[in-house]
Amino acid sequence: MSPEPMDFQLPQGGDIEAVLERIRATLSCEVEPEATWRRRYLDSFDWLLYGVGAALEEQVAGTGQEPGQGQSRRLLWIDLAVDSADEAQVLDAEPGFADDLPPGALRERLAPVLGVRRLLPMAEVNTRAIRVRVLNDDAKTVARIHLEDNRLSDPVSPARLSARLRLLPVRGYLDEFAATARLLQEIARPVAEPGVLVLEALAAAGRRPGDYSSKLDYRLDPAQRADAATRFILLGLLDTIETNIDGTRRNLDSEFLHDLRVAVRRTRSALGQIKGVFHDAAVAHFKAEFAWVQQVTGPVRDLDVYLLDFPNLRACLPEGLRADLDALRDWLSAHYDDEQQRLVQALASPRFTTLLHDWRVFLEGPLQQAAPDGAALPIKALADQRIWRMFKRVRGEGRAIDAQSPAEELHELRKSCKKLRYLMEFFQSLYPDKSMRRLIKQTKVLLDNLGRFQDLAVQAEHLRETAERMRADNAADVGTLLAMGGLVSHMLEGQQRARREFADTFAQFDTKDNCKLFRRLFLDSSGEQARHQNRHSAGAESDAADAVHGAGQ
Amino acid sequence: MKIVGVYSIKGGVGKTATAVNLAYLSAVAGRRTLIWDLDPQGAASYYFRVKPRVKGGGRALLSGRRELDDAIKGTDFERLDLLPADFSYRNLDLMLDAGKKPERQLERLLRPLRQDYDLLFLDCPPSISLASENIFRAADALLVPLVPSTLSARTLTQLTAFLDSDRVRRAPRVLPFFSMVDEERPLHGDTMARLAERHPELLRTVVPLAPEVERMGLHRMPLPAYAPAHRAADAYRDLWSELEAAVA
Repeated sequence: MSPEPMDFQLPQGGDIEAVLERIRATLSCEVEPEATWRRRYLDSFDWLLYGVGAALEEQVAGTGQEPGQGQSRRLLWIDLAVDSADEAQVLDAEPGFADDLPPGALRERLAPVLGVRRLLPMAEVNTRAIRVRVLNDDAKTVARIHLEDNRLSDPVSPARLSARLRLLPVRGYLDEFAATARLLQEIARPVAEPGVLVLEALAAAGRRPGDYSSKLDYRLDPAQRADAATRFILLGLLDTIETNIDGTRRNLDSEFLHDLRVAVRRTRSALGQIKGVFHDAAVAHFKAEFAWVQQVTGPVRDLDVYLLDFPNLRACLPEGLRADLDALRDWLSAHYDDEQQRLVQALASPRFTTLLHDWRVFLEGPLQQAAPDGAALPIKALADQRIWRMFKRVRGEGRAIDAQSPAEELHELRKSCKKLRYLMEFFQSLYPDKSMRRLIKQTKVLLDNLGRFQDLAVQAEHLRETAERMRADNAADVGTLLAMGGLVSHMLEGQQRARREFADTFAQFDTKDNCKLFRRLFLDSSGEQARHQNRHSAGAESDAADAVHGAGQ
Repeated sequence: MKIVGVYSIKGGVGKTATAVNLAYLSAVAGRRTLIWDLDPQGAASYYFRVKPRVKGGGRALLSGRRELDDAIKGTDFERLDLLPADFSYRNLDLMLDAGKKPERQLERLLRPLRQDYDLLFLDCPPSISLASENIFRAADALLVPLVPSTLSARTLTQLTAFLDSDRVRRAPRVLPFFSMVDEERPLHGDTMARLAERHPELLRTVVPLAPEVERMGLHRMPLPAYAPAHRAADAYRDLWSELEAAVA
């Protein structure tokens, strides 16, 4: 058996030239021509790879033989737990989306993790590697030393990362390995773990893995004043909006715009649903302005949805009609650039910049003296009240829907359901985690059904309008129009299916157990809290809680 | 693990040079490669600067007193290891005959290495003997260097006749190719044309007779490592491509 390779920490400063000189003076060896290459660490904007304990390293050859066998560019999948590369893929261009990579094991592994997101460079490192062969009297290699100098590729301050020295055995030369290890210990200190280079590089580049996620994760204090907690939630959403502007502007992938729009929608929902904490007059303007943002960002999102779903749309037509859809895709793609241009203009407009600026000033400003009644409530009491109310509304609207109900009633229910979901997500940390996850999940199932019902109808209508515009532009022949008709009918069938499935889906939401859980979490607990506060404290807060409890009935 | 025997009944046909250069090219191509120097002269071991000695000799390996694994030495090249020759291999037939199922000893011995390597080259001693039978039994393919002469054509016929006989149960694929071809000699050209007609299994690559190949003994390394641009190195690369396709 061969011994394991040994890692050494280089002395402070980590100058590999000096170490190489000492190795040369101490050991009979041959130094191979040095090699340089560039490493780029890639992940999605929301760190999807890091989330599964992995990193992607793109290596671009510079001078000398490394890396790989004369490959000028390759991509490695790095397992962070063991800091080793599992899968490698030769590339001929900078990697972007998973689908653009050459077929192979790496793409298979990457595609389900990355989804529609683009790989972005998170840190770039310049590596200089020197390979030393330790020789015996026959000039035969009996051990290998790998020396590596890594610097952050930053034109201003190319921070030096830890220099690495690794001693590798050559099979069958145990004694020589041990002797070399002894000599090296006089030069450098052995270390058990050399440290994961990608993590070191990210830290040096000022990147914090996992620093962005579109998921809401607010840690709220139940006793916090409602206006303070609400500002905290809204500030988080504002951060998300601002973080996604650049990627939306550059259209790096469709998720930047999507996340931006979701944060805007959540903002509007919070303003509408967390009632009584701000004066209506103070936020009416913001509500209107965020509605404008939602509207100007809509067209590109609609096209994104179409284009992302295009392969599925194509696949739902009979084989013979599929080619006829190409004209539709071309038409959508051609309009995409115009819409994106308009979107970029809106995001750069004084109206948008002023909105975000004023909104931040409002949220970060001092708490209002003459605040509405709800502002000073503990946030938990307000959350109880709002969620319980919204649940009752969803239940009532849902129960009123039968097979004959018009589509508008389902649309209304969808809106209420979305409000319920957002409220539960904002206030998730105030309640037992497991129960909340169960309720949110069930609400999402119901929302999916309602969403399919409405979205398919909207898409079918949109497609009809598109067909008319294409005809007017002479951009569609009969074949294309017929194929689009096929799609419309497929969508309307799907919509009808969703309508038929509604009763069952709602019944699964409106179970006894579910209602009990809603009652226990949002009604009974607020009652207890109110009683608790009545017993142990006096003053405005308990009065307010009582008032809320009463209002919630 | 695929096993390739580099084999010839006749000596002096460029067998060891072939085994050493192809093993090197296989490692360069990314395959974990082992070369076993079974020739007691130890030329392959010498080319890789490894002492031609196994503790306890061939008998210790065959009897299991010494694991094959322990005797393996790394070469100067990544992914390429060598099992050195030992002078005791001159008595390999006697040692093989001492065990059970004498013609399957080598196959048994190699089994534990299957996970460690993608490709194993056996640099075989010239002869037809019990050792060769063991090699035929274990190998997936036999690379047979042929110097274009009537005599070596006869040895190929002898070999195929032997492999077709009842003695050999599972014959490896035979891959003959022309080796040490002197392009100046008209006789070589004529013989090659005649043989190619009779042996469609002949590989297309022709390895030329070149003093640079003989210098492997001076450089003590594979030819493509010190003279990668030489036409003989090109020939070995072509031969490797043909072999790679044949054993894939």
